[in-house]
Amino acid sequence: MKFKLPFNKKQTPIIVEESIVDGKMITPSKDGFIQQIKDATNNPFDLIIKSIPPNITIIYIDNLVKDQTLNEHIISNLQNKHNETPETIKGALSIPEVDIYGQLEKTIESIIHGSVLIHLDGYPQAVIANITTRESRSLAAPENESQVIGAQVGFNESLSTNISLIRRYIASSDLCNEKFTIGKRTNTSVALLYMNGIANDQMINSLRQRITSLELDALIDSAVLSEMIDDNSLSVFPQMLLTERPDRFCDGLLNGKIGLIVDGSSMAIICPQSFVEFFQSQEDQNLRWHIATFARLLRFTAILLSVFLTPIYVGALTFHYEVIPQAFLVPLSESRALVPFPPVFEALLLEFIIELLREAGARLPTKIGQTIGIVGGIVIGTAAVQAGITSNILLIFVALSALASFTTPSYMMGNVIRLIRFPIIILAGFWGFYGIMLAFCFILIHLLRQSSMGAPYLSPFYPPRLKDMRNSIIRMPIPFTAKRPALTRPTNEEKFDPKPIKPEKS
Amino acid sequence: MKKYNFYLMLLFLSSLLSGCVETNILDKIGLTTIVGYDLGTEEKMEITAVIREVNPEFQSNVEIITTENDTSKGNRMKANRQLSKKITVGQMRVILFGEKLAKENLHYYIDLNLENANVSNGLYMAVVEDETAPLLNYEYKNIDDIGQHIFRLLEQNISQEYMISPTLHETAHDFYSIGRDIAMPIIKRNEEHIEMSGIALFKGGTMVSSLPVKDSFYVKLVRDSFNSGFFETNLKEEEMPPGLLKKPSSEIPIVFDAIRSKRELKLIDASTPEFDLNLKLKARVLEIYPDVNLGDPELVKKLEKTISKNLANEISRVIAHAQEVESDIFGFGEKYRSKVRNSELTKEKWHEMYKNMKVNVNIDFIILRNGVFE
Amino acid sequence: MKNSIRLSSKDMINAYLLFFVIHSAQVGVGIQGFQRIIYQDAKHDAWISVLVAGLATHIVAFCMIKTLEVYGSNDLYGIQQDIFGIWIGNFLNALYVVYCFIAFFSVLRNYIEVIQAWIFPNLGTWFLSATLLLIIIYAFTGGLRVVVGVSFFSVILALWIFPMLIFPMKFSSSEALFPILETNLSSIFKGAQSMTFTIIGFEILNVIYPFIKEKKKVKKYVHLGLLATTIIYLSVMMVSITYYSEGKLLKTIWATLTLFSFISFPFMERFEFVAVCFWMLIILPNLCLYLWAAYRGTIRLVKISGTKFVWIFSLLIFIGTLIVQTRTQINSINTHFGQIAFYIVFIYPIFLFMITMLKKKITSRKG
Repeated sequence: MKFKLPFNKKQTPIIVEESIVDGKMITPSKDGFIQQIKDATNNPFDLIIKSIPPNITIIYIDNLVKDQTLNEHIISNLQNKHNETPETIKGALSIPEVDIYGQLEKTIESIIHGSVLIHLDGYPQAVIANITTRESRSLAAPENESQVIGAQVGFNESLSTNISLIRRYIASSDLCNEKFTIGKRTNTSVALLYMNGIANDQMINSLRQRITSLELDALIDSAVLSEMIDDNSLSVFPQMLLTERPDRFCDGLLNGKIGLIVDGSSMAIICPQSFVEFFQSQEDQNLRWHIATFARLLRFTAILLSVFLTPIYVGALTFHYEVIPQAFLVPLSESRALVPFPPVFEALLLEFIIELLREAGARLPTKIGQTIGIVGGIVIGTAAVQAGITSNILLIFVALSALASFTTPSYMMGNVIRLIRFPIIILAGFWGFYGIMLAFCFILIHLLRQSSMGAPYLSPFYPPRLKDMRNSIIRMPIPFTAKRPALTRPTNEEKFDPKPIKPEKS
Repeated sequence: MKKYNFYLMLLFLSSLLSGCVETNILDKIGLTTIVGYDLGTEEKMEITAVIREVNPEFQSNVEIITTENDTSKGNRMKANRQLSKKITVGQMRVILFGEKLAKENLHYYIDLNLENANVSNGLYMAVVEDETAPLLNYEYKNIDDIGQHIFRLLEQNISQEYMISPTLHETAHDFYSIGRDIAMPIIKRNEEHIEMSGIALFKGGTMVSSLPVKDSFYVKLVRDSFNSGFFETNLKEEEMPPGLLKKPSSEIPIVFDAIRSKRELKLIDASTPEFDLNLKLKARVLEIYPDVNLGDPELVKKLEKTISKNLANEISRVIAHAQEVESDIFGFGEKYRSKVRNSELTKEKWHEMYKNMKVNVNIDFIILRNGVFE
Repeated sequence: MKNSIRLSSKDMINAYLLFFVIHSAQVGVGIQGFQRIIYQDAKHDAWISVLVAGLATHIVAFCMIKTLEVYGSNDLYGIQQDIFGIWIGNFLNALYVVYCFIAFFSVLRNYIEVIQAWIFPNLGTWFLSATLLLIIIYAFTGGLRVVVGVSFFSVILALWIFPMLIFPMKFSSSEALFPILETNLSSIFKGAQSMTFTIIGFEILNVIYPFIKEKKKVKKYVHLGLLATTIIYLSVMMVSITYYSEGKLLKTIWATLTLFSFISFPFMERFEFVAVCFWMLIILPNLCLYLWAAYRGTIRLVKISGTKFVWIFSLLIFIGTLIVQTRTQINSINTHFGQIAFYIVFIYPIFLFMITMLKKKITSRKG
């Protein structure tokens, strides 16, 4: 294109960082070394300094190292032995990850990540033994993306656990895993996963670039990362999927997508992701295709209802009374007879109440949350109708559209569906169907302008790819979907040989 | 680009504030369901409007307002002055014309409603015997909402094919068509009820005559094809085939339903003009005088023939009546125009020819079955 | 040729999308009320006029493609510069840009008129034109990919309107079409000429051609697009002739919309109110494509950035919509524009084709 996209993020070329940042070396003397470490870590109280006679000092941070390993494999090995050089220490330790560093910077970094520093008096190096232990919860069912048929395990906050989960699904040497560290202060580990030979190299490179060029202070959750590396961060529509289901993540990888896992976050990022795929659930793959197709169509109807039902009500009642069928005319006008507000205000009020209930339900502790949802809905709804501030029919519409918005499998996308309703209601309240159409065209153009990792966001509808449409708002039987979606521009297109497996039939 | 976005937002917000439109909020408007046009006594037209309003106190009520003015919009303004809510016509379902007005000319009234984008093309039009105002203003014991009632009455009869369909579109179509004239149902008040009493025949925009309601079946038969509905006819004794009756009787009433008819119109002579009207009817005997013997296939054939003859006579009678008043409600003219090249037909020319038109009615009547008990 | 357009494959579009581009560029405001205008000339043989006009589009498109093929990868603007030299070529280019401007304006103003006549009689023209222009600017700044996407979705999402023609067919009688060919041929051709305003739009091919990936398939999809348009126009015309009577059709300004007035569903009546608003999606590609065509021409004449151009263009259009206020003004613009467009879209390409062929022969003989 000759002209720039107005909302496009500037992609500054990455500056390759200098490999040697700080040339400061470790002091050979024991006391000097201890002081150096203390200064660098600001002398926290959980910094344990232990001397093993005759000339060894062990420094580590409590709670970050495995006590048992420390005792059995390090202290017992070092005690009562005469160690001459760091190399002999390295040889004496019976643990897998041992290194020798001379730079202070590296040493500090590893002690913070849970290594034990072993310093031999008189040597300007330190032996670093990695015996990290991390507190993490056990694996549990994915709560935000629950499904009836399918695996009942979700990611947790530990990067290594998550990667082991993925490796369990994809036991292949083609599964690539690259590590990045993001955040000047948090030094969060981020793993970039993809299938070599399936995923598009260009796309991997551009994602790599985006990650490395990030200059973040802190990275607490993957949602932040996904927003930072989106194609268009200003758009309301997410362009990368956040999922806590390892099966969905792996399915994505196998389709040529690229995954990102952030340490400390239970949501993994999958990209590129098209608009349609946000409305697909992993369960669709597990059900028979008829039922999956029905479920997907249901979801799509739900989205349309959710976005346009209330605006159409507002538009029809405010301007286009002609389009209301005679059978509806009397119940509609009678239910509105007591309402003192114009339809826009009435609808906004009710939508606001529903959103309030949802927000309260999400913030409250689980047990109270459920009661608030049900009781609040019924009580407030009936009371509002009786008090005459809303009409019965609108109450049904609003409840229906709220319900419909929750059918979206991706919570992030569900939020968008709920949000974009509000401007459309306002437009419908001002200019009726013309306003709705205006909003519709705007959203359509906006969606057309978006891309996910450079891939068209509205794929497979635009650009039209008939083969990919087989698994879009419908799901054709699995033998018909043997090709990987063109969205990911995969290096290898064929998933499997689509020939029938039952030879007796042919 | 950022600064453009800012202007864009500013433009949008400013338009939001000033681009407001006049609203028609459903519960703040009065919905006119029926409009009746009469000849005014002092001014040009008298309009009776049935307006449905929703009030918090009464739930919903129906107001009937009669006003007189020179124009229809003037009447609307006058009526507006008497109501708490704005009058709108977007949900209008029926337009009624007083007989006197219909006998003058309806051209102006048809155009008036076609012009207004709010008025639906699917609304029904009918003529009221005498005047519309008394019919609408009368307080019926069993009818709550007269607007709804008349609409339902017409709709039901039309969808059952008992009555010809008089939508605004069809009326305007016939009015602006060269070889076709308007026909509308006539309704009247009968004590506490409203009933259909006949069909009004028009020549151009002027009502010239009427047919009794029983003849609507024949009119419909000639106008277009039938898909349902039923009809009743009386067979005279002299028409009857011998042997059909066990006991002689002067008249046999016979009722048919589930009628399917196929109409075929052929122009055989363009100069007279002369038409062949071939009708193919298939029907089910619904009710027949019990003495009739329907078991014998020979007799059924004879009965079919008798009925055909009877129908042909009735249809000829109806057509002759229409010819007499120069009202081509059947669309013979359209056929003529479509068959004769470069006819340069005009409505006047056709009406001249129509008077002398000859129609040969041929009817092929088939009894499909009777009930489940012989 | 010197000034041919070289593009990376990322900026190009697939040939089959041309079907949607051509089709959506043709169908727009014209279809809402073209019946009356053709009927005035060709009476009940108006459908033959539609066919003739459809046939003419195929012939003209054939010439266009042949002309473009000679130049490989170039648009009309480049061809004119090459054939007539820089000065005359640029003058013609400027004329073509003005033509696109007027086409854009006429589509926009007609749509605003429809909205005002049917739904919001007192909604300001300035407001309608401002909101529509903003949407179009947003689409245009997204580039050709978005513009073509709008055409694509406009066709796909409006498909459901076509079967709605079944509803009025209940009230139509085929007798109205007979006797066939009663009107004399000259009237039929005159009717076909009156189709110009409705059927133009496919001249976008002249500008979009270099952006097509597979140049060999262009022919197929262009003709398919034209055929689809002709079929739609033909069926709308047939239904209208049989549904309305002679006098009524002549008096109905937006016959297609009035056709919809009968349609009602259990949940919705008066379909035309929805249709009028929905038509926004149908005219969007019209507007976007003309705007884009004008931009392509303008950058051949002056150096201007897309954003700057689109704002100046929109401002001029906006002022234009405010000046043209009444129905009579709009109608006279439509008629005049239709006449001019006839020469630009139907006559000129054939003329250009002949000159190009002549030039090709001369140059090849020299070589």
